[in-house]
Amino acid sequence: MSDLLSPGGAPVPPAAPAASRGLWRALRRDRWAQASALVIVLVIIAALAAPLLALAEGQDPYTYHTELLDPANGTGAGTLGGISGRHWFGVEPLTGRDLFAIVVYGARTSFLIGLAATVVAIVAGVLLGASAGYTGGWWDTVVSRVTDVLLGFPQLIFMIAVGAVAPAAIPRPLLLIAVIGLFGWPRIARVVRAQTLSLRGRDFVRAARALGAGGVHVFRRELLPNLWAPIIVLTTVTIPANIGLEAALSFLGVGIPPPTPSWGRSISDAINWVQTDPMFLIFPGAALFLATLAFNMLGDGLRDALDPKTAVRR
Amino acid sequence: MDRRDFLKAVGLTAGVSGAGALLAACNANEQSGGAGTVTVSSGGTLYVLYDVTSQRLDPAKSSSLAITTSGLIHRRLTAWTTSADAPATVVPDLATDTGRASADGKTWTYTLKPGLKMSDGTPITSAEIKYGIERSFDAAFSGGLGYHKTLLDGGSSYTGPFKGGDLASIETPDPQTIVFHLARPYGDWPWIVSMPAFAPVPKGKGTDANYDSSPIASGPYQVASLTKGVEIRLTRNPNWDAKTDLARTGLPDEIVYQLGQDSGVIAQRLLASSGNDAFGFGASFVNPAQLAQIRTSPAAKNQLVTSKSGALAYLALNVRRGPLANLKVRQAFQYAIDKTAFQIATAGNADLAGPVASTLITQGITGREEFDLYPAPPNGDVAKAKQLLAEAGFPNGIENLDFPVSTANNRADLAQALQAALQRAGIQTKLRPLDDDAWTAIATGNDDNAYDLTLSSWQPDFPSANSNIQPLFGTSEIGNGGYNLSRYSVPEVDALITQAQGTVDPAAAGKLWAQADRRILQDAPVVPLIYTRNSFLHGSKVGDFVIGEFPAYPNYLQLGLAK
Repeated sequence: MSDLLSPGGAPVPPAAPAASRGLWRALRRDRWAQASALVIVLVIIAALAAPLLALAEGQDPYTYHTELLDPANGTGAGTLGGISGRHWFGVEPLTGRDLFAIVVYGARTSFLIGLAATVVAIVAGVLLGASAGYTGGWWDTVVSRVTDVLLGFPQLIFMIAVGAVAPAAIPRPLLLIAVIGLFGWPRIARVVRAQTLSLRGRDFVRAARALGAGGVHVFRRELLPNLWAPIIVLTTVTIPANIGLEAALSFLGVGIPPPTPSWGRSISDAINWVQTDPMFLIFPGAALFLATLAFNMLGDGLRDALDPKTAVRR
Repeated sequence: MDRRDFLKAVGLTAGVSGAGALLAACNANEQSGGAGTVTVSSGGTLYVLYDVTSQRLDPAKSSSLAITTSGLIHRRLTAWTTSADAPATVVPDLATDTGRASADGKTWTYTLKPGLKMSDGTPITSAEIKYGIERSFDAAFSGGLGYHKTLLDGGSSYTGPFKGGDLASIETPDPQTIVFHLARPYGDWPWIVSMPAFAPVPKGKGTDANYDSSPIASGPYQVASLTKGVEIRLTRNPNWDAKTDLARTGLPDEIVYQLGQDSGVIAQRLLASSGNDAFGFGASFVNPAQLAQIRTSPAAKNQLVTSKSGALAYLALNVRRGPLANLKVRQAFQYAIDKTAFQIATAGNADLAGPVASTLITQGITGREEFDLYPAPPNGDVAKAKQLLAEAGFPNGIENLDFPVSTANNRADLAQALQAALQRAGIQTKLRPLDDDAWTAIATGNDDNAYDLTLSSWQPDFPSANSNIQPLFGTSEIGNGGYNLSRYSVPEVDALITQAQGTVDPAAAGKLWAQADRRILQDAPVVPLIYTRNSFLHGSKVGDFVIGEFPAYPNYLQLGLAK
């Protein structure tokens, strides 16, 4: 504990580096988490390189190919919804747009909204939660009550309502990020506040304060290193939740406006076709399933590695 | 006039993307054959499966067609009869004829059939009819079809019987006679008096909103029970006399509406036709995905009935906005649009969706003339569109046109087909999918600059070209809830509309309407897309399920059940 008391020195609590070393060791043993990380990397690459992938296929997600449809019922002509060398996932019923291009471009929408909304939620949640837990008093009361209200708020209904009334001048992606982020931070703030409350009474924090460290310094040097573990876990489970929320909003028709591809909207369109053209549902559905499953499993793996109480040896 | 009327009328009657159709070869004709195989008789319970959660049963609030739900409960001065191969015709209902006009077309006289009674025993006299019409003017009971509200002399400023007293332009010289004085000559008045507001209401009844759930009936059925959002049960009205009714057969003993059903589930239930579902029919359109499924099953085809034609789907161009104010630009739109892609997006293929439209007056309407001012292949003429754009001063195309569209009835998907087609000619649009109410507020609101173009669909409320043209292109229909979505105002056209409305002879009026049709399209304020066919499913034991040339809906009043 001697270095904790050294004035001016960074009293890094010993838990942090040990945790990150243990984290890698634990993750190396967790095959599911590794596989999930691989899937996530692949989907992110697909999202980033969507135009290149579509170009490799020779298609784009906007051009109509009505000549590729079965004239009898409007589904993609040929086997499995028109899967061919030129259309790897077949084509969309009624339009003939390339389904592969729609799915990879849809990954862009999902990840853009999912990640950005998570960043908004995490930043807001950590700052508000830590400040509330650390300072206490009236600020703590205000943040806690706002957190309670937002957690009890009918979020989906509010999002649908905002989506319906927001002026067209606001870009849709920004609006979605803001709205999803707004409802995402309270969960994080709660966990961070609880963690901060317990840290506040610890000796190293008291010592730093006794030596005259300001709020910002204590937050950055004393609290944050001890908050990383829950923040990382929360981030990995918030991302799939937000991707799912974006898909839900697009499913309900208040997400990203067409024709920008979105998994949620494709799934919504595909539901009616499940009996006649099941592949139309399977591809975007599988993409959404894989992405959210991978993030959730990685989050589980991280939590197991970081939190000894829930650790399960696999 | 309360223009929510038209909103409701369109919500109920406008053609939609979900509407589809079978090939011409197997539509109404095969249907009449198919109906013949089901021998109907009196009795039984008919089930109506519906995706909506409410039905307006108050005649003042109802905007339904004369041959659907409210027609089962309420008789009016006139009624419609339909047949498979002809448009609806207007026939006397409570009145002894369809109306006797004065020479100037401004005064219409009706004589009521004697001895008719409502379900509570009230005799139906001219006083009950007059009170029913007056009630429809009260703001508390607005929302129904309101054509009469501006046509009756003094109607524009009348506030209903509770606040405004008596409406002087409806005269009731004796219990059997009712006389209407109109503000201007109006040849289609016999159709107007077939609308729900012309149903009798006993004096002093219907003073509160409850009348919507328990109206006093004059037709074959009365409301026995109503569970909001779930079920409406209609039973026989003992005071209805079949011998006095030309329009209604009143065969089933009971009619049960099952509300709030998922349209996909409705289709599956009717196709299976197990138990009571065999005695049911779907009141909502069959969507393209279900059509694709039905087409793989020969047995199911007998249960599918498709209209020959239907509502006009059109792209409205706001003539008061930027580049769209330029006639050449609007003409370029006529060539840029891909009507084939629109048909496929509507129902999977061209035949199912309905024929390509080139005129404003819909098929099956008296006086309609077939013409095409902008001849192009059905998938458009992109080169010609680009050339017109260049002539208009937009050689590099047009960017950022605001394209709000209702999300109801797959319109957002249909709009994407239009967007992709316009893109080919260098016209870039920004789609803005909106909830149906939000879209209506913008499209029918007073702000001329709220949008550049939008997609809509229009089914006339009665089979006259008047109902095709005036609500969409009359100057009086701009804003305030009116459906002049192009914000089109040309005095010459307004004059033609007034002249045609005042012409009592249908043939002469038809000629004037055709002239107006052509004159409006010269200005290209809209791009006519298709005449949307509607498809409906019925259970295996429902007979006489017929859709005529107009309207593109089954006639509920003549349905019967097999034993």
